Amino acid sequence: MRKIGIVLLCFLCVVLFYFTFQSAEKVFRSNWEMPEHAIEPVNQHRVVLITKNLDTPFWDQVAQGAREQAQKEGVGLEIWGSYGNNREDFLEKIEIAIYSKVDGIIVQGINSDEFNELTKIKASFYNIPIITVANDVPIEESLRRTYVGSDQYLAGQMIAEQLLFDMGTEGEVVLMSDSHQEYYQKQRLQGIADVLKDYPNIQTVNAETPDSREQIISTTQDILNKVPGADAFIAVNADFTGVMVQEIGKRFQIEPYFIYSFDDGSDSLPLLEQQKLDGVIGQSPKTMGNVSVGLIIKWLNDEVVPLDKKGYLTDIRMLKAKEAR
Amino acid sequence: MNRIQKKIWSLTLVVLFIMVIIWAALTYYNQKTQDQYNAILQRYLSLNEVTAASQDLITDLNDYLLQPSEANLNQLGASKANIQEAKSEILILKNEDNEFAMANYMNLIDSLMETTDRSLMYQKQQETEASTNEFSEATRISNYISETTLTLIDTELKTYERLYREIIERSNELKKLGIWLLLLITFLLLLMTYWFSKSITKPVQKLTQSANELAKGRFDLPIKVESNDEISFLAETFDRMRININNLFMEIQEKAQLEHELQQNKLLLKESQLQSLQNQINPHFLFNTLNIMSKKAYLEGAEETSDLLVSVAGLLRYNLKRLDKPVTLHEEVIVLKQYMEIQKARFTERLHLHMEIDESSLGVQMPGLTLQPVIENAVIHTIEPSEEGGNIWFRISHSENIVIIEIEDDGQGMTEEKVKQILRGNSEQTEGQSTGIGFSNVVKRLRLFYGQEDVIEIQSAIGQGTNVMLKIPKKRRNDEND
Repeated sequence: MRKIGIVLLCFLCVVLFYFTFQSAEKVFRSNWEMPEHAIEPVNQHRVVLITKNLDTPFWDQVAQGAREQAQKEGVGLEIWGSYGNNREDFLEKIEIAIYSKVDGIIVQGINSDEFNELTKIKASFYNIPIITVANDVPIEESLRRTYVGSDQYLAGQMIAEQLLFDMGTEGEVVLMSDSHQEYYQKQRLQGIADVLKDYPNIQTVNAETPDSREQIISTTQDILNKVPGADAFIAVNADFTGVMVQEIGKRFQIEPYFIYSFDDGSDSLPLLEQQKLDGVIGQSPKTMGNVSVGLIIKWLNDEVVPLDKKGYLTDIRMLKAKEAR
Repeated sequence: MNRIQKKIWSLTLVVLFIMVIIWAALTYYNQKTQDQYNAILQRYLSLNEVTAASQDLITDLNDYLLQPSEANLNQLGASKANIQEAKSEILILKNEDNEFAMANYMNLIDSLMETTDRSLMYQKQQETEASTNEFSEATRISNYISETTLTLIDTELKTYERLYREIIERSNELKKLGIWLLLLITFLLLLMTYWFSKSITKPVQKLTQSANELAKGRFDLPIKVESNDEISFLAETFDRMRININNLFMEIQEKAQLEHELQQNKLLLKESQLQSLQNQINPHFLFNTLNIMSKKAYLEGAEETSDLLVSVAGLLRYNLKRLDKPVTLHEEVIVLKQYMEIQKARFTERLHLHMEIDESSLGVQMPGLTLQPVIENAVIHTIEPSEEGGNIWFRISHSENIVIIEIEDDGQGMTEEKVKQILRGNSEQTEGQSTGIGFSNVVKRLRLFYGQEDVIEIQSAIGQGTNVMLKIPKKRRNDEND
């Protein structure tokens, strides 16, 4: 009886000691250190990629390409920007980047005086190289070092040729572009116009619209009223594709229409897969990211001076509904 | 030997020690946590300070542009110094995660300073519009700084989220530790107190038990207390007291016994004397007559008769005088010889006496008239009943501290019962005894005289003779005491 008591007491003692020590170890042995702060200033270049269409599939790929390249080259890269075409935020981000004296800015070009002033005057003042990516702004207006992206004129031509191939040489074509007079859209329009001008039986209707959703809807409805016999639609600004197709679908069957777009809008590729679009110009966003980061680093390291002012063009191709399947 | 005190002290010290350890650990933990909290707070505070300083700078710049006074300029200078200081302070916040943002942040501050300087420069050159432009730019930068501060704080939160969660977890764990510690200490203290109190009360209990036994009069149980403190000391003393009491008690008992024996001795002596007196009426007359008869016989030429009469007279005298005083063995042997001469005259050829006497042992003291009754017994039971007579051996030898007197005969022997009766001292037969002193009387007196039981040994069987062995100590016990 006594022995059992002693054994029990010992056991209790051991158990209590065990739990107490384990608890104490948890309390006192945990990591007290704050994460190390980098005392050595790492002399790496800081590059910012700024877009106004964050979190769209196209720009995600650009960002991915850029990140991969940055990691390879060992430079600091951050993706900044605004969501859903917010131009004010976008411009502010560029300004912050300039004031932050980053080593290089890779930016989606837009047609706006503020943008031009920022890139031309501010960036030059702080001596920050700027490369436009995907959407170009001519060097005269932006003093960009170079452009990395698709040849938009060629893209326009390709889409027009596809239209001719699909529709034939007769019909009415509606071209949806936005009212900002973006350079890349102008180039696309130019490319389309240059191909279609040889076919007098094809009428083109240019519809310009501000880029808010309501405006796009009303413009699309308007154009459907004005041009009831339209045979084809081309969303020159790919961001319009979704809304445009939706509005057309509200009124008619989508099937008879020939609808084309570009892949830099977030709706383009899903709609193509649903066969609501007949063709989409596919670009190479990942390559754009890759190349643009590579180029800006070469510039910063004085390896390629000067950069090709005309730009470094990336591959484009026509994606058709059947192929997308 | 302050053992109990020591025990109390050690218990207290152990408790104190545990308390100190816990206190130290908690203080240490508290300090560390405090430091960590301070560090974390400091990060946010220094970030916030930059924002505040940049806003101050803008306000001061605005004041100066509106009113270019010396005081405002000084104020502006102070603001600039302020913002530089804040900038140097946030340098330590740099880490891997926010390196890019921190670099931007630093540069934003630099840009703010530069823009401010430019604004001042234009102000000096009286180019008001340019100055105002720069001012508005500075204001924007200041706003950007605020924004970036928020971004940085956000990043900080993300970076240190794990750490913060750990802190929360740890404080929870601390609560658990507190409970475990409380349980453990309670348990240990209870255990220690139990042992401690037992180590004091158990010996006391034992001591109480022993005291009870002692009170009941049992002095022979040793008092044993297994402990090493004052109680055991107490118990030892108590035990010594018990032994002393026990010894005294025994001594008193012994004395009482001695007294008792003495009294008995006296009584026996009286009895013998009375017997002698009863048996020998006017012995002096008999003694004188015997002497006269001896001389008469001698004169008449009967020398043998004369000698015999001398022996009888000697025996008679001895018998009269030496009953109450110790005599030497030598005297006893002489009397024995005289007696045997008388018996020889009586039994002539039937009596064969063989004597082997160690002369060196004859000085030993013994009570008077001890040998004669024994040998008389032998004569009565050996020679008298047998026509052919018999042999009697008388031997005196000695060992280290006793003298052995042996009287052996080859007579008819005694029954075992008889032997036991004699040894017990209650055979009261005195018939046929010349001196009136029986065997039992001899045994009793010998025992009393030497104060020990083991003085006589009788070996006898029917038809095989008797061997009486007296063991006389060379030193009387009473010699030492008297």
